[in-house]
Formats: sequence, C-alpha cells, structure tokens
Amino acid sequence: MPTTTCACGGKAAAKDVKDNIFLPKEAKIVRVEKTTEMERIFTLRLADESQMKFEPGQILEVGLMGYGEIPLGLASSPTREKTFDIVVRSVGRVSQALNRLQQGDTLLVRGPWGKGFPLENLRGHDLLIIAGGIGLCPTRSLIQYALDRRKEFKRFILFYGARDPQQQLFLADLADWRKSQDVEYHETVDRGDPTWKGNVGVITSLFSKTKIDPGTRVVICGPPIMFKFVIRELEKLGVARANIYLDLERRMKCGVGKCGHCQINDKYVCTDGPVFAFSEIEHLEEAI
Amino acid sequence: MSFHFIKDQDFPAFLSGLIKARTVVGPVAKTSRQQEKFVFARLTDPAALRLDYDVTILPPKKEFFPPKQNLLLFDGPRVTPGIEPEEKVLFGVHPYDMKALDMTDALFREKNEDRNYTAHREAATVVVSSVQKVSPRAFWASIGTEVKPKGHDAWLTKVAGGCVYEAVTAKGEALLQHGKFAAASEEQKKAARRADEEAARQCPEKLQGTSASNAKKVRAAFSREELWTKFAQDCFSCGSCNTVCPTCYCFDVQDWWHVDQNTGGRTRTWDSCLTEDFAKISLGAGAQENFREERAERFRHRFMRKAAYLNEKLGGPACVGCGRCSAACTADIADPTAVINSIPEA
Amino acid sequence: MAKPKVAFFDFTCCEGCQIEFTNYGDPVFLELLKHVDVVEFREAMSEKCREPLDIAFIEGSFSREADRPRLEEIRRRAKVVIAYGQCAATAGINALKNHTSDYRKFVYGKDAALPHLDSQIAVGVDQAIKVDYYAYGCPVNKYEVLQIVSHLLHGKDPVIPNYPVCVECKRRETICRFDVGDYCLGQTARAGCGAPCPADGIPCEACRGFVDKPNHEALVKVLDKRAGMPKGWARHKTRMFTANQRGDVK
Repeated sequence: MPTTTCACGGKAAAKDVKDNIFLPKEAKIVRVEKTTEMERIFTLRLADESQMKFEPGQILEVGLMGYGEIPLGLASSPTREKTFDIVVRSVGRVSQALNRLQQGDTLLVRGPWGKGFPLENLRGHDLLIIAGGIGLCPTRSLIQYALDRRKEFKRFILFYGARDPQQQLFLADLADWRKSQDVEYHETVDRGDPTWKGNVGVITSLFSKTKIDPGTRVVICGPPIMFKFVIRELEKLGVARANIYLDLERRMKCGVGKCGHCQINDKYVCTDGPVFAFSEIEHLEEAI
Repeated sequence: MSFHFIKDQDFPAFLSGLIKARTVVGPVAKTSRQQEKFVFARLTDPAALRLDYDVTILPPKKEFFPPKQNLLLFDGPRVTPGIEPEEKVLFGVHPYDMKALDMTDALFREKNEDRNYTAHREAATVVVSSVQKVSPRAFWASIGTEVKPKGHDAWLTKVAGGCVYEAVTAKGEALLQHGKFAAASEEQKKAARRADEEAARQCPEKLQGTSASNAKKVRAAFSREELWTKFAQDCFSCGSCNTVCPTCYCFDVQDWWHVDQNTGGRTRTWDSCLTEDFAKISLGAGAQENFREERAERFRHRFMRKAAYLNEKLGGPACVGCGRCSAACTADIADPTAVINSIPEA
Repeated sequence: MAKPKVAFFDFTCCEGCQIEFTNYGDPVFLELLKHVDVVEFREAMSEKCREPLDIAFIEGSFSREADRPRLEEIRRRAKVVIAYGQCAATAGINALKNHTSDYRKFVYGKDAALPHLDSQIAVGVDQAIKVDYYAYGCPVNKYEVLQIVSHLLHGKDPVIPNYPVCVECKRRETICRFDVGDYCLGQTARAGCGAPCPADGIPCEACRGFVDKPNHEALVKVLDKRAGMPKGWARHKTRMFTANQRGDVK
C-alpha cells in the first residue's frame, strides 16, 4: 500500500494522501489477450478488491512507475462487475512497457476521470454507435452497457470500421454481435483480403445498409479525420447536433484538467470530455 | 482588516524578526555584467530585500508550483506522494502578480484539487507590496482592471517616512508581532492610495479596449491565418513567454530512475504550449499527430488562452500585464499590447 | 540475469565525452557498475572485446571512409547503438572543416601532408550505420547519459528534449545574455544540458545542436539587431556546432 512521508502533521498528511490526484492505485492483471500485432486487451481488478466505479466513456490513467502514464478509455461496461478492461496499443514508452506485462502482474491506475457518454440523453431512444479503428475500445463500454440493459434503448445499431481484417479488435465480441438479435451490427474494412467476405469501404459506406431515424442518439469515436465525414452523413439524415456525441482523443497527460496538453479552447478533454455533444464543441476551433 | 504604520528606521528590525521566526521569501537582486535583475529568493539578510524592484525574472508562483516538482517517489513497488508543504512568508509580491497567484489558485483548486499546489499555497502567508518602480514593459494598469488583487494576507505600501501595512487576514495580522507598528493615520492611508495611483500612471505600455472587447476581437481573429503567420514569423517556439508567465500553469510529467535502478520518481516540469512537441501524440509505427503543428497555431493558442479562453472562468483575461513575456522574447514579438492592439475590432 | 554488456568506441573526436563517463564520482559509478558490465572502454581499461554487446556508445564523427567497416562491425555486434556526444550525433564542431579548404595546412602546418590526416567531409555516424539513440552535447550531459542508460536498462526509450535552451535558462532564472548586450544561440539550441553556460555568464553556442525545427532566419535577425555583431557574422555564427544542421550543409 502507498504510504506517505508528509511533514505537515498526521491529520494534514492523511488529507494530502487521500486527495493527491496523482497517487495511483494498484490493479492486478486477471487476463491478457493479444488481439492484434499492436494491441492487447487487459482484464483488471483493483488490488484492494474494491469495485472500480465508472461511467461508460470515462478514461483511466494507466501506467507503471518509472515509465509514466497514458490515458485510456475504459473498454468494458460498469455493468460487468468485479473486473474492468482496457486496451493498450503499443505506440510509445508506456504502452510498450504495459504490453510486456503478463497475467498476475500489477499495474497502476488513476481515475476514472472525465465525463462519459450521457446515458440520460441516450436512454429511451434509438442508439447508433460509430466506431473506427481503436475507437471501438472506449465505445465498447457503451456497447456492453446497451447489451446488458437492452430494454433501456430502442433500436441499437453499431457501425464498426477497421483498416483491414487483421486490425479488427475483440474478435469474440464481433462474432457475437454478428449473430446477436440485440444489436444491428454493420462492419466494414478499408482494404479487404482474400478471406474477407464483408463490406469494403470507408465507414460512411455503412449508412446505405440501414435506415437511421433523425431522432437517433449517435456516438462517434475514431480517428480525427473520421468525425467530419460521419457528421456530414448524419446532418444529411437530419440528426440534431445536440444528439451527436464525439469521443475525442488528445494528449491527456494528467487526466485531471491541469497539465494543459489536451486543451481545446477553454475545454480540457480529460475533464470536460472526452465525450462532447457536437453542439457543445462545433464552435470551438481546433476541436475536430 | 486593519491599517498599520511602521517607520523606516523600524523596518529592518521587523524584517530581522520575521526572518528569525519564519522562512521568508522576497525579491532580491541578481546581476550579470553590472545589469541588475530581480528574483524571489529565500532571505537570510534583511538588507538583501529589494522592495524597489521593478519585476522579477520568474513570478512568485514558483514558490507553490516549482519549475520541477516530484509528484511521487517510488522505491520498488512502494509509491510515496511528494507533498511536503513548508510554512513560509512570501514578502513583497506586486499587485499584478497577486492577481496571477489568485488565478493559479483557482485553476489548481477547481474540479480536481491539486494538493501538490494548494498544500504549499495554504501554508504560505503572502504580503503584497505596492509597485515602487515600474518595469519598462509593464501594462498592468490597463489590462483586466475589473479583476482586483485578492488572496493576499497583507498589503505593504511605501509612503513618506515609512510603510503602511494593511493586515487583510489573521495570517497577515500575525506578522505584526515581529515589528514596531502603530495604527496608520487617515493621512498615511490616503498617501498609500496615492502611491498606488501614481505607479499605475507610470505603466509605459497600454492595452487598448476592454477585457470583453479584446476577448471578442482576438477570438474573431482565430481564422485569420495570414495575421498569425505574420505575428509568428520570428517566433523561436522557445517557450520563454510561457515560462516567465505568472498565469501559465501547464506542465509535463516524466518518470526517472536513480542509478540504483530501483528507486526513482514521477516529476512534473513547467511546460510551454509554444514548444513544438506540446500537443504531439504518437499513433504507433512511427506515426504522430500534432494538434498544433505550425508555430503560428501555437502562437495563436497562447493569445487565445491569455485574452479569451479562460475569461469566463477567471472573470477577466489570463494576463495581468507584468510585461515579462515582452521582455523575455528576444525577437520581441510576444508583447500582448503590441499584438492585441494591432488586431482590428471584430 | 547477466548484466547488459556496454562498450565505448571512438572515431573522430577528442574523447572528452568518454571522460565525462568517468566523472560521476565513485558512489554513482560503482553503483552503475552493479547494473552494467563495461567490456571495452579505453579511457579506463585496457581490455578489448569481441563479444556481442547490449549497448555500444560510439563517440566521434564519421570522417574517413576507412572507418566504415569498423562502424559496421560495431553495429552488427550491438543490440543498441548510441551516438555518444555531438561529434557522433551530427559531427558537431568537426563539421566546421566541411566549410574550409585549407584546414590541414592551418592546423597541422608542415605535417599537413601526412597520410593519416587524410579525411573526407565530417558527418554523424548515422550516415554510415543505423543509430538508435542520440546523446547530444559537447560534451554529453553525464546525468542525461545516466537517464538514457537507466531507461534502456528498463526497456524504455530515453526522453530527449526537443525544446530550446531558453526554457532551461528561464526555469533557473538566468539573466538573458541579450539583456546584458551579449549574444546567445539558446533560442534554437536543443536543451537537455540544464543551461549551465548562460548561468555562468557565457552565451549558449548550441553545442547540443539545433532543435528539430530551428527558426534560423529569426536567429540571424535577432543576432544582427540585438547582439551588435559585425555584418555577416550573424548568419555564420551557428556554424560552430551545427554546420551539418544548417541550410548550407555540405
């Protein structure tokens, strides 16, 4: 357990330790699965056996001492109790170190931080989730949630686009979703291969596969370039900007709205987001 | 709130008493090639205190938010927070810097309170000192005038024959015991007000417009790329303007190991949004995304932050007119008055 | 687990960066030796090695074609190659000669014609072999080197700043050289040294080279306007350490 050497007396020390927003908690790796060449799915449990409380769409700072921390969207739903999932893509110092860890190892988490998907505005409506590439990871928290609480939503439609079939994440989930009666699942890849029998094309090509009601609540997460094109399609369909939610990626270094690396205008993506209504940020320069 | 007066001849004894009782940090001189500049430093000799300073190289926020600060230390798997607040008296803060301190107080306190700052801040007693000598690039009398200095414990003003000491809080009151103070007369209080007004008149630079009109026109100029490209033509992306700014509070966090390879720390260091890598992320396989790749974009971002983005949160611009950025920029392109005054009204 | 094997090699240089490695003082150096096995280091030992290496520190520029096979052999043996010091990184001060034709006569006088003085354009060792990491500086910052080694021992890429020296001067409240009528190249120079020179009243000469995107034109302007240099000097001023990073690189 973390301890303190605070010099300011017992009582203040206790407050400082408890309130130190940079002090992480230990989490045990229950399971680790290599899902692509670059990505691993970690199933974690807090070392003190307490429940990780979070909302779908919130982020965690995940790291190791000596290496640092990276912001990751929680990739499982809080409705799946006891454990929680994250996906680590090997892109830098921290992620490469994390992806060397094995089942039973310990890593450090801090959070959850930020605002997740606005469930109160999603419930009772058609829900369309559009995930591109690694954007499937944070949205999986909402996908699982919607599947677990299916009655809270009307239609549930999911678009998923990957660069090529080898880049597809959560293969077991995809297999379930393809068969599921609970979700209308549509997928595409930018580039097919000889084994691929599904749709080939950018993610917006999936809009022709189904009819979307203008009252649908839409959640988008993917590479920055994807947002513009998807929003254009949604505008054509008459979906209100207040009902389009974007899950943004920035350099969320501290996760607590201080360090400044993820600022867009007066917003800090890590605390004001990472999920924003399009109507909330459409006027902000540099947002999308 | 109470007003006191201390005679010039009693002032050194007050300082000596204070230094004996408490850790005192105040403005002192630093020279190179006979050029005198000022820095906030720990006082050991009362005579070293220079309340006639014009501006310090770094603002006093460094006392609570140091350029380098260990957030965590580790020893194998054992992680220890690094907060060890020290009680101290920050003596001689200029009013514009007090405004800035109050802003950083608010920013570190909001949402997720950062005890790494606030614990140090709470342990301090801050004594403001009226400006006796105005710095060559100051424009504090014409920016964000609707925001008044607050958060200080006492305010000291030099008048004829001595200083008026306004104790604002109990902490400010507590310092009185170290010196020979008398109640300040109405005349002395008036003289203190006049001294502040006189200093304000001496600010050599002037920002035109109001906080609201400037916020509006700076924001409206966002898409005028040609304007920002021209402003930033000689920008080095050197981060000097950010690093000396009293309201900048961005930081980077890096981990390190001791040579034993088992102990180490997680340290935050002041960061600058003007530097090239500030908003860069790795995407893997060598690919990167830089959300503000061009120096004009970074230059613009700073002005948006100072003149517009934070106004709602802070009640005025995130600039207090200290002029440090103007003086620190070797290309002399960072001066907020020059830049903002030259942006046409929206 | 066996300790990682580390070796030092030198090419065109003064070997001052290797000397820096001996300047940690006993407590730090002996502690470091608990974690790495130094198998070749001619500043401090006479042994030579032929075995595979974990980390090869290469000091000095690549300035003779005859050195290529030796560099390639080091590369084959080493898992990680570090260009150690500015000469190895960008040819640093050695690259000055790329811009002169009479340096041999000037430097060596009557010995100018000796065959071992024959050399080509001085470049960084990455012009001959793949380099994994760079330890910049003339000399290197030994504390940064310690962090580079520590990071590598933990399988982490080292963190090397890409911001200018101004940042470090400001953080330590150094009086700007321009404020006292001096010149300085810190606005375009890569930080990581901790800015000791301006703190001692000496201008930064950019001994760690330029940042990735230096605004050289602005530097020339500022040197001209504020440092009172004779006409034409400002443009050439940065050549001392960054001859291979300027627009007029040979």
